[in-house]
Amino acid sequence: MEVKLWQAVQAILNGILTGALYSLIGMGMALIFGVMRIVNFAHGAFMMLGMYATWMLFERLHVNPYFGFLAAAAMLFVLGYATYQGLLRRIADRSDFMQILLTLGISLILTNGVQLIFGADYHQINFGLLDINVRLNSHVSLNLPWLLAFGITLVLGVGMFLVVMKSRLGRALRAIAQNRYAASLMGIDVMRIQALSFGMGLAAVGVAGGLLLPVFYLYPGAGDQFTLKAFVIVVLGGMGSIGGAAIAGVVLGIIENLTSLYWGNEWALVVDFIVFLLVLSLRPSGLFGSQRV
Amino acid sequence: MARVIRPSWLSRGVLFALLVGVACKADSKQAANTFRIGVVTSLTGSQAAFGQAHKNGYTVAIGELNAKGGVLGKQIELVYYDDQSKPDQAVQGVAKLVDQDHVPIILGAFSSENSRAMIPAVTAKKVPLIMPTATADNVMETGSPWVFRICAGSGGYASATIDFLKNNGAPKTMAIVYENTNFGQANAKSMKELAPAAGIEIIDDEAYQSNSPDYKALLQRVKAKEPEVVYFASYLLDATTLMRQSEQVGLNPKFVTSAGTGFAVAEFPTDKGAGKYAEYTLSVAQWVPSAKWAGSSEFDAAFTKLTGAHPAYHAMEAYAALLVAAEAINLGKSDQSAAIADALRKVKLDTPFGPVQFDAKGQNPHPLLVTQVQDAKYKVVWPADVAETKPVPTPAWADRK
Repeated sequence: MEVKLWQAVQAILNGILTGALYSLIGMGMALIFGVMRIVNFAHGAFMMLGMYATWMLFERLHVNPYFGFLAAAAMLFVLGYATYQGLLRRIADRSDFMQILLTLGISLILTNGVQLIFGADYHQINFGLLDINVRLNSHVSLNLPWLLAFGITLVLGVGMFLVVMKSRLGRALRAIAQNRYAASLMGIDVMRIQALSFGMGLAAVGVAGGLLLPVFYLYPGAGDQFTLKAFVIVVLGGMGSIGGAAIAGVVLGIIENLTSLYWGNEWALVVDFIVFLLVLSLRPSGLFGSQRV
Repeated sequence: MARVIRPSWLSRGVLFALLVGVACKADSKQAANTFRIGVVTSLTGSQAAFGQAHKNGYTVAIGELNAKGGVLGKQIELVYYDDQSKPDQAVQGVAKLVDQDHVPIILGAFSSENSRAMIPAVTAKKVPLIMPTATADNVMETGSPWVFRICAGSGGYASATIDFLKNNGAPKTMAIVYENTNFGQANAKSMKELAPAAGIEIIDDEAYQSNSPDYKALLQRVKAKEPEVVYFASYLLDATTLMRQSEQVGLNPKFVTSAGTGFAVAEFPTDKGAGKYAEYTLSVAQWVPSAKWAGSSEFDAAFTKLTGAHPAYHAMEAYAALLVAAEAINLGKSDQSAAIADALRKVKLDTPFGPVQFDAKGQNPHPLLVTQVQDAKYKVVWPADVAETKPVPTPAWADRK
């Protein structure tokens, strides 16, 4: 019996570690959705770019991915800012449908562009750090790369939350989320702030990509599945709530791990989407309150 | 007035499309001095690495064949269709290759899933299909007279693994871990059918969603059942994650066995795959560069010259498939699909992949090898008469250096 208990503990801890990365991906999307009302269907593709950036740094310049992710984040921030100014801005007042088409289009261009440049081969990185496991007792152990990713995510997640809740920029973000017309009347440069928040949202997913690289693998389609996951997290967390997305990501990680442990891995995605549908139909404002951003 | 403009643009568009169409037609006429063979494989998408292996295998084969004069006095030209690792695209590929490119024979696809999807299409169009790598046995169960398979199927994988286990310690319990696709399910099904007869009880049966970063809970579940053998059916990406995380959760079966594929590609025992976590894993292989069949080492050399890396068996199977297609075309002395299919039934060809001769169902009875990763290399350890070395017992993770 005790062994079984430890198993559950192990699964929950693993779920928290995996979930933290989901949170970061989801928070990026939640920020973008909150401020712009755009569901960024290119989210996973941008994450894949972050992974490639981290990978290139590691392969060419031998930069450890646990530093390299910072460069990936910076690159994605700039890219996000430019993408907003060049493309998204033009359709800001158009229908949701246009926005879906545009972000989906960006996603396809990124995925296939990367494939043209780097080829379809998958890549993996290996270095000594990946082999270290932290044993808590004879039944529970945690893999160091996942722990590191969790620690970094925690710091950055809290930082992002504080920026949004406490800083001047954050106040402007929230004002736009509540009512962009009123915000612009109050002297907020809506376009600039939206461009910044798109950059920040992508930087978050770039960090997630950089942190995922050492424990996952890389190919041009590697990010695709995470777009959907991020969307589920944004909905669970309450359409645009960053704190909500953070919690929802961890909850999703734990649900997946426990489902895998008790029912089998093939049910993990099924349960994900059952939870998603239940929340959508019973509590459309999300699991965690209705406050936006 | 705007209404008047639109149809004019439309008609210009149509005219343009027609011109392009005519240009393409002219192109295909120009190419009439070559003999076209259709290829469907996964050049993009999640199985692109295998599709690339196919392409490299075909490239080596076409170089050799055309140097010897091609077929029916013409040089061979391969017309590729990229199925993007998706079954629906593979079906579209058949339509495109047959209706537009007029190829009399098709080779492909890479995955069992895509190959299975193509069978109704080639049957309806009465075009022979040679499958180099589809191991799921349901691709041979349609009864279609137009399909031919070079490689051994999932039943062969399971029986080769069981044969090895019976003669090397005769374990009693097994867990099957497989990806939830046609390939994974077919291999799991074959194992479930064959293991009990050999006195091996299947105590765990785990399907999983492929391409996930986290299989630790799944592996914990397997660990709790304490099987003596784990049988994996996975592609490379997941094979690597599964082995790394097996170490993390401390899953220690006496035998880690697998239905080839991800556990049998050249990258798997290297740093580009599972690296040291691949050590001691057993796999079923259709072919290895050190295989005894004549031409194996020459193919290895040609492939290595082309790509800079040693070939896995997927490339060899594609290579062999094209050799067999060319042989059938020359044997039937025809560029018609029906004649080529008849000739395929008569082909008897010694290839570096071993002798190829299709049975009444279109299956080539290809013998399988059991390999083990030892010092980052695949070594044939079974059957005993062709083994390079003896199998080594698998130590617990904690006991490895």
